[in-house]
Amino acid sequence: MGTTLVQVTRLSVRDFLHEWRMSVCFVLALAAVLAPLLILFGLKFGLVDTLRSRLIEDPRNREIKSVVSGRLTRDWFAALEARDDIAFLLPRTRAIAATMTLRPAGSRANVTRVELVPSGPGDPLLPEGATAPDGLGTVVLSAAAARALGVGVGDRLTGNVTRVVEGRRQAAGTDLGVAAIVPDHRFARPAAFAAPALMGAVEDYRDGFAVPGLDWPGADKPDAPRVYAGFRLYAATIDAVAPLRDHLNGLGLEVRTQAAAIETVRALDRSLGAVFWVIAVIGLTGYLLSLGANLWANVDRKTRDLGILRLLGVPTGGLMLFPVVQAGLTAVLGAALAGLATLAVAALINRMFATSLAEGELVCRLLAAHYLLAVAGTLACAVAASALAGYRASRIEPAEGTRDV
Amino acid sequence: MPSIRCPWKRCLKEVSAPVYQVAELSKARVQAGSGFALSVPELTIRPGERVALVGDSGCGKSTLLDMLGLASSPDGAGRFTFCPRGAPSDIPSLWRDGRSNDLGDLRKHHIGYVLQTGGLIPYLTVRQNIDLTRRLLDLPDDGTADALAERLGLAGHGAKLPAALSVGERQRVAIGRALAHRPPVILADEPTASLDPETAKTVMALFLDLVEAEGATLIVATHDRAQVGRLGLRALGHDLARDPAAGLTRARFWG
Ligand SMILES: Nc1ncnc2c1ncn2[C@@H]1O[C@H](COP(=O)(O)OP(=O)(O)OP(=O)(O)O)[C@@H](O)[C@H]1O
Ligand SMILES: [Mg+2]
Repeated sequence: MGTTLVQVTRLSVRDFLHEWRMSVCFVLALAAVLAPLLILFGLKFGLVDTLRSRLIEDPRNREIKSVVSGRLTRDWFAALEARDDIAFLLPRTRAIAATMTLRPAGSRANVTRVELVPSGPGDPLLPEGATAPDGLGTVVLSAAAARALGVGVGDRLTGNVTRVVEGRRQAAGTDLGVAAIVPDHRFARPAAFAAPALMGAVEDYRDGFAVPGLDWPGADKPDAPRVYAGFRLYAATIDAVAPLRDHLNGLGLEVRTQAAAIETVRALDRSLGAVFWVIAVIGLTGYLLSLGANLWANVDRKTRDLGILRLLGVPTGGLMLFPVVQAGLTAVLGAALAGLATLAVAALINRMFATSLAEGELVCRLLAAHYLLAVAGTLACAVAASALAGYRASRIEPAEGTRDV
Repeated sequence: MPSIRCPWKRCLKEVSAPVYQVAELSKARVQAGSGFALSVPELTIRPGERVALVGDSGCGKSTLLDMLGLASSPDGAGRFTFCPRGAPSDIPSLWRDGRSNDLGDLRKHHIGYVLQTGGLIPYLTVRQNIDLTRRLLDLPDDGTADALAERLGLAGHGAKLPAALSVGERQRVAIGRALAHRPPVILADEPTASLDPETAKTVMALFLDLVEAEGATLIVATHDRAQVGRLGLRALGHDLARDPAAGLTRARFWG
C-alpha cells in the first residue's frame, strides 16, 4: 500500500507537469481570486487598524484641556491624581507667564519665541525612549521649534525671559540643553516642554520674584502655596475621557475633549468593520466554491486516466490521492503566487500613501497569521474537493471509466 | 500472495483448478430504445489455455472480457470463480460487497489486460507505460520492460510519449504493459484491430509467442475467424439472436 501511494504521487506530479499549461491556468486562476482577498485583509488590518490605533494611541484624543483659568491647589491635584483612569497629570502655570524666547547658544540668529508646556516623565507626547525634561537645565522641543532654531537633540540653547517691573523692562537668561524632540504629529506649534521647576521659575520671575536656582534677581517670594491656572491631563484610555470630563464638570471646571470625535470615528470603525466582514465572507465563499468546482471538474476530465489506474489495480485511496496531490500543488503554488502579488501590491499602496503615514504605520499590512490561515483554508478546501471527486471517480467501474469515445 | 521467487508456472503444477469457472453469468446493457443481454450458461478455462471470443461487432465480446477481467460487475452469476493461483476467489460476492480494492488487487497481481482502445497513460513515456504494471507491484527494474519493448519493435521509442506514436505502435505498448509484470492471465480485446492485415499477423504471432513463453492463460476477443484457426486458439461457442420487435439482442457464449 505504501509503495502504491508513492507511485501514485509520482504519477500525479508527472501528470501535473505534463499538463503544465493546464496547471499554470489553475494556479493563476486560484491566485487571481485569492490575491484580492488577501489585499482586502491587508487593507482592513493596515488602514482600518492604523486609523483605530491612531485613535486609541494618539494621546491627543485622550487629552482633557482646561478652558478657563482656575485656581487649583496642590491638594486639588493630589485628589485628582488618586483616580486610576489618569495616565498623566501636571499643573499648568498661567499661560501669559508660560513663554520664553530661545536661541541657539552663542548665536544671535534664529531667535524663536515658544510657549512653555509643563512636562515630565510619562508625558504621552514624548517619543518612546526620549529623555523627559528635568529640573531647570533641559527642555524638550517641538519639531517646529527645533526647525526654527536649527538645533537637534543634545544642542545647547539660551533661554530668555522678560518682565516689566515698575515700568522698566528687565530680562533674565539661562543655559538650556535639548533633551528630545516631539514630532509634528504630536505637537504642531513651536514649543518647549519644560519640567515643573522651570515652569515655576519663569512664572515667579514674571511675577517679579527672584529665582535663586537660576540666579535671577527680584523680590523675595512669600511663603504661600502655589496656585495653578490649569492642568495638562491625559486619560488612561479613550473610554475614560467621557467619565473624566463629567467628573471635572462636576467640580465646576469647564474642559474640552475629543469625546464627540472619538464616538464618530468609533461608529465609522464599527460600520467599516461590518462592511469588511460582509465582503470578506462573500469573497471567501465564492473563492472556496470556485476552487472546489475547478478541482472537481478537473477530476471529471481525468476520469479515463483514473479508470486505467483503477483497472491496473490502484486502490481507492490511491485514486483519491492522485487528484489530492495535484490540488495540493495547485493550492500551494497558487497561494504562494497570491502572497507574492499581495506583497507587491501592498508595497505599492504603502509607497503611495507614505507621506501621510507616521513611522511604523501601513495602509496595507498582510499579517502572517492571516496568510497562513488563507493557505490552510485553501489547502483544506482543495484537498476535500479533490478527495471527494477522486472517491467518486473510484466508484466508477473500471470498464466504464476506460471507455474511450 | 506468492512471492515473485515462486513463478506462477510452478504454482500451476500444484493447482490444477480451472482459472475461470463460470455458470449462468448474465449482464444486460439497456439503453433508450435498445437492449443487449449477454449470458454465459457455462464456461471453464484451464490454466495455460488459449481461448478466443469470436463474433461480429457488437456481439458482446468486450462486455464478457470486461467481466472476466474483473473490470465490470455481472448482473447475476450462478457461479463465477477466478483461480489464477492458490485459492479461488468468488467474484460476484466481491462485487456485491463492494470490495473494489480486493478486485483491484486481483487484477493487479494476476491479470494483464490489453484494452481495445489501448488505454495508455498519456503523461508516461513508452518505457514508463510498459513498466507501469511492474511499478505498481513494486517489482524490481530487471530489464523486463526494455526487453519487451525491444521484442515488440519499440526499441527506439522508449522515451516517446504515446501521443507521438502511430496507432499500431500504441497497441504494441499496450501489449507490453499487459505482459511486463508476468501475470498468469492475459486478456486482450482485439489487440491488432487497428493494424493493417500484414502487421496484424506479425504482431499477433509475436503476442502469442510472448504469452506462450510465459505459459500464461490467454483470452482474446477477435472478429477475425481465420486468425483463430491459424493460431490454434480454442474458440468459445457463441450465438446471437436479434429480436427487432422488442429491440433486444441476446448473445450467448459458452465452452
Ligand atoms: N456502456 C454501455 N451502455 C449501454 N450499452 C452498451 C454499453 N457498452 C456496450 N453496450 C452495448 O452492448 C453491446 C455489446 O457491446 P460490446 O462492446 O461488448 O461489443 P463487442 O463485441 O466488443 O463489439 P466490437 O467488436 O465492435 O468491439 C453493444 O450492442 C453495445 O451497444
Ligand atoms: Mg469490443
